[in-house]
Amino acid sequence: MTPFIRSMFVVARRDFLAIVATPTFLLFLLAPLFMVGMGLAGGMGASQLADSARGAGRIVVVADAADVEALRSADTRLRAAMSREPAMLDIRVASPAAADPVKIAHEKGSDTYAVMIGPLAAPYIVERETDSSSGRYLALLASDVQRARAAGPLAPTTPRFESLSNGGTSIAVQQSIGFGAVFVIFLLTLLLAGQTVSSLAEEKGNKVIEILAAAVPLESVFLGKLLGMLGVAMLFIAFWVIIAMGGGLVAATQVDPAALAAAGKPAATLAAMPATGWPFFLGIGFAYFILSFLLLGAAFLGVGAQAASVREIQMLSLPITIFQVGMFSLSAGAASAPGSSLARFAEIFPFSSPLAMAARAATDEARAVHLLALGWQAIWVALVIWVSVRLFRSGVLSSGSGWKFWRRGAAAAAMATAATADRH
Amino acid sequence: MIGDPGLSDFSVEANGLTKYFGDYKAVDHVSLKVPTGSIYGVLGPNGAGKTTSLRMTLGIIDPDEGVSRLLGGHRPQSVRNRIGYLPEERGLYPGMKAREAIAFMGALRGLDWSEGRRRAAGFMTELGLERVIDEKIRKMSKGMAQMIQLIGSIVHAPDLIVLDEPFSGLDPVNQERLEMLVRRERDRGATILFSTHVMAHAERLCDRIAIIARSARRFEGTVDEARALLPMQVRYTPRTAGDPAAIAANLPAGAELRGDAWHFAIQDGDVEPLLARITASGHGVTGLSISRPALHDAFVHIVRQVDAGFDADATGDAVEEASA
Repeated sequence: MTPFIRSMFVVARRDFLAIVATPTFLLFLLAPLFMVGMGLAGGMGASQLADSARGAGRIVVVADAADVEALRSADTRLRAAMSREPAMLDIRVASPAAADPVKIAHEKGSDTYAVMIGPLAAPYIVERETDSSSGRYLALLASDVQRARAAGPLAPTTPRFESLSNGGTSIAVQQSIGFGAVFVIFLLTLLLAGQTVSSLAEEKGNKVIEILAAAVPLESVFLGKLLGMLGVAMLFIAFWVIIAMGGGLVAATQVDPAALAAAGKPAATLAAMPATGWPFFLGIGFAYFILSFLLLGAAFLGVGAQAASVREIQMLSLPITIFQVGMFSLSAGAASAPGSSLARFAEIFPFSSPLAMAARAATDEARAVHLLALGWQAIWVALVIWVSVRLFRSGVLSSGSGWKFWRRGAAAAAMATAATADRH
Repeated sequence: MIGDPGLSDFSVEANGLTKYFGDYKAVDHVSLKVPTGSIYGVLGPNGAGKTTSLRMTLGIIDPDEGVSRLLGGHRPQSVRNRIGYLPEERGLYPGMKAREAIAFMGALRGLDWSEGRRRAAGFMTELGLERVIDEKIRKMSKGMAQMIQLIGSIVHAPDLIVLDEPFSGLDPVNQERLEMLVRRERDRGATILFSTHVMAHAERLCDRIAIIARSARRFEGTVDEARALLPMQVRYTPRTAGDPAAIAANLPAGAELRGDAWHFAIQDGDVEPLLARITASGHGVTGLSISRPALHDAFVHIVRQVDAGFDADATGDAVEEASA
């Protein structure tokens, strides 16, 4: 082991233990629980709101008593074929007095999206929004009843269904897998790489930085810190993978296989396959997470190293988070449009490259390109570290040349000008 | 203790180190040559440029001009593991245990962790710190933490030990322990370079010193050579209280009567003639002491001379500006 690598591991070991061997790490480890809890609470609230809104909404048909049964039957038939279920149908028998659809639409107690009155051949529909789906559905309902009557009794259709599950995963599903990879890598990077921004604050605060700078190359300090944080990230991921596997095992032993088979759709989703195959996809996804972490972590470490106080670090966190979200949006765009110019840009731009390339692994079966991408990203990790160290040396340690060339150049120019003036 | 060393016997060879912070010249062409196996002091008032000079010497910051070569002509970065450094601004991780902190500093310099822990316990026991071996740094007094850091800077048995203001913040007992440690490291074969503005330590420890004032080196030599910059001080008490003017006539110009004793300075070659004159004068001798000034006096003299030069330059500049 070279002295550089050794000192890198010494710094990484110290940082890893300093983070992990504290009670607050437990809170950090359980942070996803809070996130999931918050998400569930928000989701339940939204779902309840949607349910209550859906329950409160209705469409109304005022029809002759002879049409009621036919309308109900047509509604049952059509509703089953709709991907998005229409609002509840309220069928009323027309009274001798003409019904006022506007009045019905304004009845209190529920939202009425559309009201249909009059003969089914020429119905009059009042709708809340012009050309609404509710209005169109009521028209379709009337039309279906009319058509059924005109055709007379028909033998029931008995379709035979066959699943395409063995015919390969659809492009849409692969794009969804790609988006999932982008999201997971983004989420983990957001949680973990952002921590590096304050990584050097401790050393600067308690003056250890001078001991480190005197003892080992600053590059190994920076890389060691990244490595330490990466170790923390690995522990974090390992913890949750074990939890997930444990949960999966428990579920497998507890859930009735018949119920699982009955679920059908989720099982089919699980059988979906990324273009490069699950083993490769998971492996390369993990590699891209590491590169994403190192790239963004190195950038944040370099930026954070310039901060002189905790307040400055806090100020830096916002643009950093915005930057991360920007990379996520770019990569998500790439995942939804594989092969597009946007996708190519996201795959090449170093800070979005790991996310976008992970998405590409879901839709494009080419594998060699990933080696190229990993190498490209590794070069950028080294470049970012190098620039960060230069900035740190000149900004924080007041060392290195940098701007002094300008000053010397300016001084030399001034002296030359003065000498020329003297000669004249 | 150290004779005239040959060129290859220097552990530190820094030439013309210069550093600007903005437009301020913090260090102006400072050169240091520290003989191998010696204890070398860099003395100077606060803000003189001692710390910056040491940092440049060790390659922690790059000089704007000049070069530094350590331990046989090597670049500082290439011999990091053979150097021990105690910075002026003390720094330890508060959450680390003392033994771990020392082992960590050793590991940074290439020492095995377990060996570092073993040596840490040995050093701490020797320095009377055995009860805090596994105590966290945050629970220690400032002086204790400083001793821990000092141990951390020498735990890997370096060939060159650089200590920036090592005595500041230590009580007299710990100062004495530190002096003992410094001597022992020198006896082991290490070269020690330290900065201080407390003359007593330099006087007791240093084989050679450099005095830095107003960013530049103003003196380099042994402690005795520094003291020799000032004339010897004489305290003379006549046996008979005769006419002061008659007594003063036998003494060098500037002799001053304080109480019953005369105080004055003489050059090295004037001792015997003075004794002859006093004996011949018939005023007798009750008390006579001839002594070299302390390093403290030599230091103050050098610094004041430099300050006076700067003040004169500043006055001259002001006059020039006014007349222009």
